[in-house]
Amino acid sequence: MTLLWLRVAVLLYGIAALAVLPAALYDRPNWSRVAIPVTIAALLFHFVSLAEMLNAAHRTLPVEAHETQSLLAILLVAAFLAVFARYKTVALGIFVLPVAFLLTLVPAFRRGQETIVPANSGWIFLHIALLLAAYVALFLSLLASVLYLIQERRLKTKQPALRGLPPLETTDQIALKTLLFGLPCMTAGLLIGSVLAEQLYGPAFFSDPKILLAFAMWFAYCTMIFIRRHSGLRGRRAVYLSSFVFLVIVAVWAANQFSSVHRFTTP
Amino acid sequence: MSLTGSPNQKLVLLGINHNTAPVDVRERLAIPPERLADATRTLLHQPGIREGLILSTCNRVELITLQESDADGGFSPDLPRFLHEYFSVTQATLQPHLYEFREREAVRHLFRVASSLDSMVVGEPQILGQVKESYTIAREVGAVSTNLEALLQRTFTVAKKVRSETQIGSSSVSIASVAVDLARKIFGSLQGKTVLLVGAGKMSELAARHLIQHGASSILVSNRTEARAEHLAAEFLHSKVTAGVIPFDKIYEQADRADIVITSTGAPEKIFGRSHGEHFLQRRRNRPMFFIDIAVPRDVDPKMNEVEGCFVYDIDDLQQVASANLADRSREAEAAESIVSREVEKYQQRLQVRDNVPAILALQQSAEAIREAELVRASKRLSDLTPAQREAVEALTRSLTAKLLHPQLTALRRGPESTPED
Repeated sequence: MTLLWLRVAVLLYGIAALAVLPAALYDRPNWSRVAIPVTIAALLFHFVSLAEMLNAAHRTLPVEAHETQSLLAILLVAAFLAVFARYKTVALGIFVLPVAFLLTLVPAFRRGQETIVPANSGWIFLHIALLLAAYVALFLSLLASVLYLIQERRLKTKQPALRGLPPLETTDQIALKTLLFGLPCMTAGLLIGSVLAEQLYGPAFFSDPKILLAFAMWFAYCTMIFIRRHSGLRGRRAVYLSSFVFLVIVAVWAANQFSSVHRFTTP
Repeated sequence: MSLTGSPNQKLVLLGINHNTAPVDVRERLAIPPERLADATRTLLHQPGIREGLILSTCNRVELITLQESDADGGFSPDLPRFLHEYFSVTQATLQPHLYEFREREAVRHLFRVASSLDSMVVGEPQILGQVKESYTIAREVGAVSTNLEALLQRTFTVAKKVRSETQIGSSSVSIASVAVDLARKIFGSLQGKTVLLVGAGKMSELAARHLIQHGASSILVSNRTEARAEHLAAEFLHSKVTAGVIPFDKIYEQADRADIVITSTGAPEKIFGRSHGEHFLQRRRNRPMFFIDIAVPRDVDPKMNEVEGCFVYDIDDLQQVASANLADRSREAEAAESIVSREVEKYQQRLQVRDNVPAILALQQSAEAIREAELVRASKRLSDLTPAQREAVEALTRSLTAKLLHPQLTALRRGPESTPED
């Protein structure tokens, strides 16, 4: 039954991902009346499926790889809906919904086996959830910056502006506010992780390359917000900066493979 | 089939519009809003007019009338004569420009007019409001009742449908509205935005007023003749915005206060160059600036558009956007025409069904009479039946009659295209 709900959610994400295209790119705003309700329905099915999945496993927190992937997709879609509620734009859905579709596709058709978090560890779950939220925020910010760039180019080259894309100032607000939301999540996530690591491994934990990169990521994130706020950075340079920080995040993620103390799988 | 279901009544639409008559003829027929009620009343008092409505805009005057035939079966109202007498225009002047539509074609024309498919600028939104105003006045003077009421309500529905199902009115086609659209693409809401007028041309003033209508809250004016700038700024104060003057020699120091700059000076050289754009953006901490250059020769160096955050549109750019939008509207108009055609069909079918109601009733009554007569004839042979058996026979005959009539009744309810086999 759990997988059935998840498959329904996958199907609905797929439909929403297609419906959002005419709304955002082909001047057919009525399609957002399809995309948004379908996305909400998908999110509900997705949530029910995750809840049932955890209930069946007699856990309260996602600890397994597919569960975590599912949680990431839920956060991503919830953030997309929050942006829609605030700014009335579905443009981010062009990227967010296909990503949510892909993130849920594998868990929907293959049972996960890898446990990445020790069961019933609330603090570790919080550490992961907060960092996932920060990644989602940065991802949305990067998307918003790319949309800004696309619309800006069209206006500069005197091509008809894409009606489905929000105005430049709105896109800029989305890019900045998602970053501002992500910073406390990342800070709290890293702090919780650090305290737990200190208790488990002692000071040696902090010389691990993965951990050093994680703090570099936090520093890059802070610097990016500082630059954006104080120089009003927009357009091309904002995309470069967001992309750089995103690459740092990907590097932090990938560093799990080289870390001796911080790995996604637990024995 | 007639609009009322009665062969003695006809829907007739007579008018002139921008396609059939030059402005010097149209202006002689124009009816100011305060005289529309009187004109409608006069129309209603014409012999043979049962219901009527006058649509008068700057591009058209149309009489939409429901006419009644006289005792000989002819239709007497002479609408051209009404126009001639009411407006004191000779028939010879009017006749070549008049068009007339009857029944189905009148319905189609009305749907097209209200949907803005017959407008000079296809898709303009005012026409529906004008039709509604005419309708309100006609209702007030008692010139619209059952039949025109139904037609007009349907007309409003069709016009709304066209607007919601097509993009016919979604793009701007005038220079001023294109400028507003572009500003909104950059800034979103114009609330709190400042507009700087450099030069004091009529067109730039119009664009500025458009921006104010859409929320811009502050106007700055800069002109070589400072008195002219002050005069214009004072005029803008009436529009409930804050207005001020920037001395022309201080323009480079203060232009960055504005989000939108409209230039229309007669200067032979460019006033703003790329370096000015860079300077402004630096002072504004990269907040975008939109330059609308409607001067010829141009006031803003096109290279300023290369500065990130500066958006420069000259008169040709604006005109190009307006033309592209107009072409979009033409494409949407094709879809709108299909909607109108479908709606005319539906409306006609609805009328057909209404026309057929008496025939349906007559058929049902006749069948019932035959059924009852046959039961009476057979009553002696059925006298031995128990009440339950009588009830069964009654039900059987009713069912038989209903089934035999069903194809005919369905065909009548569906309208003219259907056959009993449908």
